Amino acid sequence: MQALYIASTGMMAQETNVEVISNNIANMRTAGFKKQRAEFQDLLYQNLRRVGAETSEQGTILPSGVQIGSGVMTAATPRIMSQGSIQPTDKELDMAISGDGFFQIQLPDGGTAYTRAGTFERDATGTLVTADGFTVEPGITIPENARGLAIGVDGTVTAVLGTGGAATTIGQVQLARFINQSGLQAIGDNLFMETASSGAPVTGNPGDEGFGSVRQGYIELANVNSVTEISDLIAAQRAYEMNARVVRAADEMLSNTSQMMR
Amino acid sequence: MMNAQLVGLSREVALRRELDVIANNLANMNTTGFQAERVAFEDYLMPRAEASAFQHRDHDVAFVQDWATYRDTQPGAREMTGNELDVALSPGGYLTVETPQGIRYTRDGALQIDDQGQLVTHSGHPVISLGGTPILFTPADADITITGNGQITTNAGGRGTLQLVSFPSEQALEKIGANLFAAPEVADPDPSVRLTQGVLETSNVQPVREMSRMVEVQRAYEMQSNMMRQSDQMRQEAIRLLGRLS
Repeated sequence: MQALYIASTGMMAQETNVEVISNNIANMRTAGFKKQRAEFQDLLYQNLRRVGAETSEQGTILPSGVQIGSGVMTAATPRIMSQGSIQPTDKELDMAISGDGFFQIQLPDGGTAYTRAGTFERDATGTLVTADGFTVEPGITIPENARGLAIGVDGTVTAVLGTGGAATTIGQVQLARFINQSGLQAIGDNLFMETASSGAPVTGNPGDEGFGSVRQGYIELANVNSVTEISDLIAAQRAYEMNARVVRAADEMLSNTSQMMR
Repeated sequence: MMNAQLVGLSREVALRRELDVIANNLANMNTTGFQAERVAFEDYLMPRAEASAFQHRDHDVAFVQDWATYRDTQPGAREMTGNELDVALSPGGYLTVETPQGIRYTRDGALQIDDQGQLVTHSGHPVISLGGTPILFTPADADITITGNGQITTNAGGRGTLQLVSFPSEQALEKIGANLFAAPEVADPDPSVRLTQGVLETSNVQPVREMSRMVEVQRAYEMQSNMMRQSDQMRQEAIRLLGRLS
């Protein structure tokens, strides 16, 4: 009775689907979060009568055969890298990227991670860091006497230093982009790591060809759409239920068989 | 006397296969571009077990066998995803995919770009263009637009046209898993196939239909096994009455 196992692959796939959806919903208010989507594939087929097999010596062939599938598997959970909506926060170190690109973050172990969450702070030495205290690359140090900090759409950081009224450039925000953004690996804390499938990062200034621009005083919200997530959740739950029903049907058929001869 | 049992057995085997098909349809309810399967049965006349020389000839005994599974090729529902690499194809249309085993076809339009910048399916097989070459993007490409006839452009210019094909007989395609189909012969591009960007085709499995079919299969199986039990009892009875030695 293959149906039992086929239905169980269906239940497993829907379980993964619900996990992905619940993670999306849980991160609905996470700055810079990109939603995931579960993609499914059918499994191998068993050819009981192969399509195109000869049915007579005159060369007539079967127009369609008997193929029994063996269920479903989760093929991938790619991230949908669409733009999230941008919300004003009035915080001078908050930055949102409008368009493609990631901020580069130096991890404590020396590696580089990438993020879309521009909720930055300054640490005790004036260095621009993430909410977790990791340095933003290339390093930007804001002097103690800086006033009127401004970040241009091209990523230039300027401030008025000392007593004069003229603004001085004190740093430059750079972005990185990837040929296959969906291939980045999420490591939690809103951070992504480069992988073999994402390709190598290409860095540039905001506003360059192909790079997005930076908005000071805004953050990018998650690109999760609550309506589609909830309707996906309903569909996944019902699909799970129906697969469970197939398991019960197969079970009852087996029990009929075992009761046949008493 | 055994015929009733054997005919019943053939029916039970066929019903089990049908349940397998239903289970596979329901398992793939959320698989993009999946097309539901149906089972067709035919009778199989017991060829030469008849004794036609008698005055009253034997009854023909007909067994049941599953003759074909065929695909329901109706289009599935269209789901708006807004993702620029998602495409939904018009009914009968297929994308051409290059796999290590050769050219394959798919209706699953959830495409991706790999580390080489190639347009691939989510199993990593390149989707090929009209010229038979993979479609390549550079890191500077943004704003990918795919027109209705499969032409791909980005802000940096044209990137080729997707090879969209159709088949004279869709049933002749063989499912090989991973949302791919193998065709008996290489298909020619068909300009009448259209696609829509930012939309995915969901599977065309109709849960109501599958569930009611499942109930039907289950009850038919139950009835069949009851019948087999009864014919078994009948035989027991016959052995008991006729086989009595007095």
